[in-house]
Amino acid sequence: MLDLKLEDIDGILVRYNVALEKEMTPDEAAEELYPKDELIYPVAKAIYEGEEDDVVDALQAAIDAGKKPIDLIDDALMVGMGVVTQLYDDGIIFLPNVMMSADAMLAGIDFCKSQTTEVPEPKGRVVCHVAEGDVHDIGKNIVAALLRANGYEVIDLGRDVPVDEVIAAVEKEKPMMLTGTALMTTTMYAFKEVNDKLLEKGIKIPFACGGGAVNQDFVSQYELGVYGEEAADAPKIADAIVAGTTDITALREEFHKH
Amino acid sequence: MVKKYTSMAYANADDLIFGQSKFPVKAGLGLEIGGGYTSPEVNYAPRPGAGASKEKLIKEYERITTDIMARMVQIGAPSVVLETEHVQQMSNNPEWGGAVAHAQKTIMEEYHDEYGIKCALRHTIGDIREDRDYLQLRGDKYSTFIEAFEEVAKNGADLLSVESMGGKEVFDYSILRNDTAGILFGIGVLGSMDMEMVWKDISDIAKKTGTVSAGDTDCAQANTAMFIAGGLLDKNLAHTTAIVARAISAARSLCAYEAGAVGPGKDCGYENTIIKSIAGVPITQEGKTSTCAHSDLMGNLVMQCCDLWSNESVEYHGEFGGTTVQCWSETLAYDCSMMNVALKTGKAKDLRDILVLSDKYRDPQGYVLAYDNAYKIGQAIAKDGENNYLRSKNAAIECCNIIEEGANSGKLRLTRFETNALAKVKADLEALTDDADKFMSDNLTKFKQEVAVFKPENYGL
Repeated sequence: MLDLKLEDIDGILVRYNVALEKEMTPDEAAEELYPKDELIYPVAKAIYEGEEDDVVDALQAAIDAGKKPIDLIDDALMVGMGVVTQLYDDGIIFLPNVMMSADAMLAGIDFCKSQTTEVPEPKGRVVCHVAEGDVHDIGKNIVAALLRANGYEVIDLGRDVPVDEVIAAVEKEKPMMLTGTALMTTTMYAFKEVNDKLLEKGIKIPFACGGGAVNQDFVSQYELGVYGEEAADAPKIADAIVAGTTDITALREEFHKH
Repeated sequence: MVKKYTSMAYANADDLIFGQSKFPVKAGLGLEIGGGYTSPEVNYAPRPGAGASKEKLIKEYERITTDIMARMVQIGAPSVVLETEHVQQMSNNPEWGGAVAHAQKTIMEEYHDEYGIKCALRHTIGDIREDRDYLQLRGDKYSTFIEAFEEVAKNGADLLSVESMGGKEVFDYSILRNDTAGILFGIGVLGSMDMEMVWKDISDIAKKTGTVSAGDTDCAQANTAMFIAGGLLDKNLAHTTAIVARAISAARSLCAYEAGAVGPGKDCGYENTIIKSIAGVPITQEGKTSTCAHSDLMGNLVMQCCDLWSNESVEYHGEFGGTTVQCWSETLAYDCSMMNVALKTGKAKDLRDILVLSDKYRDPQGYVLAYDNAYKIGQAIAKDGENNYLRSKNAAIECCNIIEEGANSGKLRLTRFETNALAKVKADLEALTDDADKFMSDNLTKFKQEVAVFKPENYGL
């Protein structure tokens, strides 16, 4: 078969990812970000490494040394997860690392809860669902994991969720934000129904939508819609709301990229 | 018992070419797919809301069909295939699917009778075999699923396809956790088991109705990996991991042809070149013409051995140049015209190689799927063709070896992250047992514990 000479390839295509790769390895970058406290450091490192058993062992050691379980959620687990999300945002680690760290963090939170009667305070509550008629839920699972990893309480309604069930969950849980994901153009239409029924009930919360065939033009058609192009936008939208940007127009200004 | 492929349909990789397959397929109104020419295969989705009623949906598909046929005649295209991927209403209510097929075929017959344009209609049934929480691959949903095939076959569909989802629950969990054994188990073992069941039944329907049992795609798994991997700058999944999933998917999608399918395989099966090398069946592919649906990193390369050339899917609406289906069918038809000229003038292999080289070093995925390397994956699968697990594992290991060779040559440049991910996948694969029964038993135990939605009974286990 025909082939290109090595020196001719750069004129055909550019591997920008190779050219721009960071010098520092992920482990080195993480090491720079870990907290220095000798009881917190092992928890954060175990979160980064996604090792659930090590997280629990490190938490136990911290509790044995006098740390309060409830405090360890914010002061150790969330700090460790903060290292992970910063590395992900900086393009140093990839999504599977974040998912494994999120699993480890959740195991850590469960352990802390089992060691105390106090109830942890999340940054906020978010209801997540996949559109009615749509069973493709990998996007929603990523969104839910990233939200939890960022300290939000997630009420996960699952996939193929009837519109009325979404409305009922929002009325009951009173979330700061609702998310909806869909793969197909034919199912994403349910988002508009959710929007209309929320408005009928006078509920005006940001409704972050994305996934598959969902696009910014479509989401902009209904009053509460905020388009998230990437799953990683979900915690950023939530953070913006927590920081005081609750107006839909302002959120669109910040997150609509096209 | 299905007959498994243990040898290659083609004696060498260089014989793989677009528009020609070892075993062409006659279908529809005068078409011979893989019989020395390429044809466009146009795919579309109704506008949101069009599925509100059966009548609305039929009307929408009538508009789409008429638009495509009219544009093909207007530009002088000699042949076209239409692919209707079912919206859930059409597969959950088989009568709807049948009615749409009938309406479309009636229009296509009118154009064929009046102008002589060669054409065929593919219906791709939605894999509706699930309820809200779990896959439900067997049982009541399966009966409706099979009935949907029967209805479209009796009412005008010529080519029968599906994008089946067996193994997806384990795969989805594993791909997000870099779990190599889980990726192999989900696609290569569970996916293959489900394919064998599904495609035997679809092939029986095709025989009974005089239609074509066409083929599948591992869209639910390998394409999920490819889309998560994304572009060069995306940080969601190593592209080296994504292409290993793709190599495994060839062993899985091959099961359709072992169970009686004859091609053309589905457009989004980027594994199809590998399958063509083993089974000699015609294939549909999509690349630069499917940017309306998604981005990939091999827009030209994937045209290398196609028999039908597709746009994946486009929502039906207006553009400056007509409706979307008119615009995209025209683009496809001009690409096919170029390939057909190359075939007639003895330049097909040159054009094929130009297409391949424009993308071969862009990304490890295109590198492995370039026909010379795809052929090697095919050989690795055929070597242990009788055993779904071993052939999947072989494909994955060969994929790793091919990437390493490419990187060593200096032409395929990898990021350090991709290199490390590749090393991890390869080490994981090499640590796996050669005993298929042990692999099954170990992973059944593991994933029953780790994946709440995994139900072994879906696979008869």
